[in-house]
Amino acid sequence: MISEHSTNIAFRTKRGEEKRQWSRLVHICRTMATLEGQKVPQSSSASDGISPPQRIHRGPTDILQALAATVGPDPTAAHYKYHDDPYLIPLSNFRKRSYALSAEAGRKAAAWVRDEHADLFSMREWDPPGKKKTPYLNADPHIDAFAPKPIYNDESKVTEEDFKYTLNNALVEDAIKVFELLGGVNALSEELKMEFLQLLCFYNEKEPLAMEWLEERWFAAKTRDRHSATWRLGGLADSIFTSMEPKSSEAYCAIIQGMAKYYQAERAHLLAQEAMEKGIPLSTSVFNSLISCVGFLKEGTTLRIEALKTLLAQMKEQGLSPDQGTLSSCLKSISAWGGGNMLQQVALQVVAEFKSIGLQPGLSAYYYLLCLFCKERGPRVDILTTILNDLEKRENLVPQDATDTNFFITAMGVCSDHLQDISLAERLHKLLMKGDNYRLVGDAYKESIYYRHYITVSCRHAPFEKTLELLDTLIPNVYVPEPSVMEEIIKRLEAGGAGERLAQAWSQLVVFGHANRVRLVERLLDAFCNCYQYQDDEIKAKIRLAAGDILKFGQMAEEKEEKNEMRSPVQKLSATAMTNIIELCSDVTDKADEGWEKVSQALDRLRSQQAAGVPARPQVLAQVAQRAATVGRPTIAAAAVGYLSECGFEEATSASVATLSVMLNRSEEEVKTLLQDRSNLSALHPTALAVAEAYHEVKSGASLHQSDSSTSSESDSESSDDDC
Amino acid sequence: MNISMLKVIQPKLGAGQIINLAPILASQIHTSTPLCRVVSGKYRITKKRDRPLTYEMANPPHFIAHRKSWNSWNTSSLKDGLRRSETAVEDEFIRRFMTGTWHGLVCSEVIIKRQFNHIRVAAIIRRAVSPTKMYFLLGYTEELLSNWIQCPVTLELQTVDSFQDVVFKYI
Repeated sequence: MISEHSTNIAFRTKRGEEKRQWSRLVHICRTMATLEGQKVPQSSSASDGISPPQRIHRGPTDILQALAATVGPDPTAAHYKYHDDPYLIPLSNFRKRSYALSAEAGRKAAAWVRDEHADLFSMREWDPPGKKKTPYLNADPHIDAFAPKPIYNDESKVTEEDFKYTLNNALVEDAIKVFELLGGVNALSEELKMEFLQLLCFYNEKEPLAMEWLEERWFAAKTRDRHSATWRLGGLADSIFTSMEPKSSEAYCAIIQGMAKYYQAERAHLLAQEAMEKGIPLSTSVFNSLISCVGFLKEGTTLRIEALKTLLAQMKEQGLSPDQGTLSSCLKSISAWGGGNMLQQVALQVVAEFKSIGLQPGLSAYYYLLCLFCKERGPRVDILTTILNDLEKRENLVPQDATDTNFFITAMGVCSDHLQDISLAERLHKLLMKGDNYRLVGDAYKESIYYRHYITVSCRHAPFEKTLELLDTLIPNVYVPEPSVMEEIIKRLEAGGAGERLAQAWSQLVVFGHANRVRLVERLLDAFCNCYQYQDDEIKAKIRLAAGDILKFGQMAEEKEEKNEMRSPVQKLSATAMTNIIELCSDVTDKADEGWEKVSQALDRLRSQQAAGVPARPQVLAQVAQRAATVGRPTIAAAAVGYLSECGFEEATSASVATLSVMLNRSEEEVKTLLQDRSNLSALHPTALAVAEAYHEVKSGASLHQSDSSTSSESDSESSDDDC
Repeated sequence: MNISMLKVIQPKLGAGQIINLAPILASQIHTSTPLCRVVSGKYRITKKRDRPLTYEMANPPHFIAHRKSWNSWNTSSLKDGLRRSETAVEDEFIRRFMTGTWHGLVCSEVIIKRQFNHIRVAAIIRRAVSPTKMYFLLGYTEELLSNWIQCPVTLELQTVDSFQDVVFKYI
């Protein structure tokens, strides 16, 4: 029977003729359950020494959850919402976002088709066999998520059932439409009016983003919720509230909470006073919401604290006991009033008071405490250690409030900026990774800020090996670094002298879409130059390759720009960065090496004024000229010296002498005497001549341009010959 | 050839008649599958030998479970299997929907695997459109099919650069 049963599971159907078997199975299960119920306590072992444990009742998804718990997050693979195919795995933040949202857009399109053509989606072809065909949707059991959603417009004929449907599914705009179609306030029973009022107050008459669209919620760049009165005054909620006679306690609770939630503080407090005078009982959550907006009534810290205390006293008068929400709304108010010693003391008093009645602060309470104590420019206060000690003791962190998701990002920010403590950051990360806690990370925006802080603090304060390990785990599947974090990483790699990883960093920049950011690329080139000296030959070659690639990438970007394919203008690498590329690429002894091509390209760009500014280290160019002459690339040597003289660097003199001495294979003194007499020069090879011209140009300085224009023009034409 | 049929007929008829009757009988009753094994599920060789075949097409049906595998995976044809015709029709619907929605992109047979109430649809797709568009189609197909068939549908796609990548041989 068991095997038959399992084949049946392969479909979501039950055949009528098999119902008998089912009922038999159910019967057996029942008898077993009753037997268990009668069993003696298991502590006393049975006569044969076997005592089966008590039955544990399981929910329908418990097995799935247990299975899911055995699978940890896999940082080597992309998130499971992306398709596992090389072409479809996103590697930059932009792509991650656009891929996930495109998939959701497709899903939305399908849902639109389904709702628009609801009549087509009531098919019966796929009814389970043996089941009596009904005119309704057929899946067994009926699954709401697959059923078409009703569309309400001015022509729809609606009943109270529709209204209940919209209320139960929190479809605010549809509910308002149906409400109007039904004929307004008078057509509704008090009970429905109450539910409608609660819905309106909770959402402030605005349609919330549907729960279905996970990605949209995840990627919604939620702007900081402004603390301004957004409550719709004189809106539908207000008019329904006035139409209710007599006003019940529930109605007062709903409207006061709505007003307080959307910062209509004064009216909320007035209504609360009115209710209390009339002797209408209010709930704890009403007081919680009143407490969280008490600061809007009074100015000045002392008055505000007094108002807060009065509210708490009123709560006691009403015979209400506070809960965790009361604590977090107290702290929310206090943290919103600024900083300072007095407020901090009050906050600590409040926490101590609540602890004495057995209420532990939740994550949002801790979040407000961190906001209050760890100010950006304030003194360093380490309350995070105590908080972590407390949280690590808890079995699991249960989300209770929307602000709970702010805790981890703020705490990591405190670790990184305020305390600069890597061990705390690691403890915090461990806590986030424990059990189900990762859902407290919030949304995509918060997640990326969290990792930004974590990687920054790790780059600055962790041992090098540990930082590398962290980077390898997180990048790129869990987190793609933003430019500022990338700079931090490059700095760390430079300090650690990891040449190979620096060379890889360039390809990472390209993949992550940061390769157009000139500042970052220049920083990377600096890092290349700084640790080039003490690398192995193999790694040196990799760095040279990367440097050459940077040059090529810039050229390709410019070509694209010429074809108007780029939206924003391409920034050009500075002359210093070009010099860095030249220095790196010229470190080859082989005449035919590709590096020399790169060097000559970079020199061309320098000479044609395509790089901003002048090089910070002209002596590098002088060395390159000499090296090029030694290797047998006189054109490059001449170009380098020519550029030096054009820019008027003093190094040009010594460089041209040294280069000429290599070219002509004579000592430097001989070269100098040779250079004294200009008439000798015409016999020289054109490249050597160009170097000699450069020498004279610098020697005579500006005067050469004025007095001897013919020479200058000659040198110009020479240099342009060299370029060809 | 339907040998068993011949054996049954043999005692009833004279030896001379068999030669004339046997082929006619066999073709009229048409009970035996081996008769069509010569043509069904096979591709005709072209004159120029330029018809591209994928691995799946290149192997005739009798190689199923030897060299290649089934295109539909389900338990409807087992003993007491459920929803035989429905499954077949649904599978055909899914195949047509896939080839129509991913127009000109599907390079292979569409494989449909059913596990519990979950349908997994696998195919090889050409990289002719951008990944963003692919993700749109992915979401659209999954959602529409699962709304239509009323159970979760998952697409399991692989991408190839061009159709050439899946060509096994030319005949």
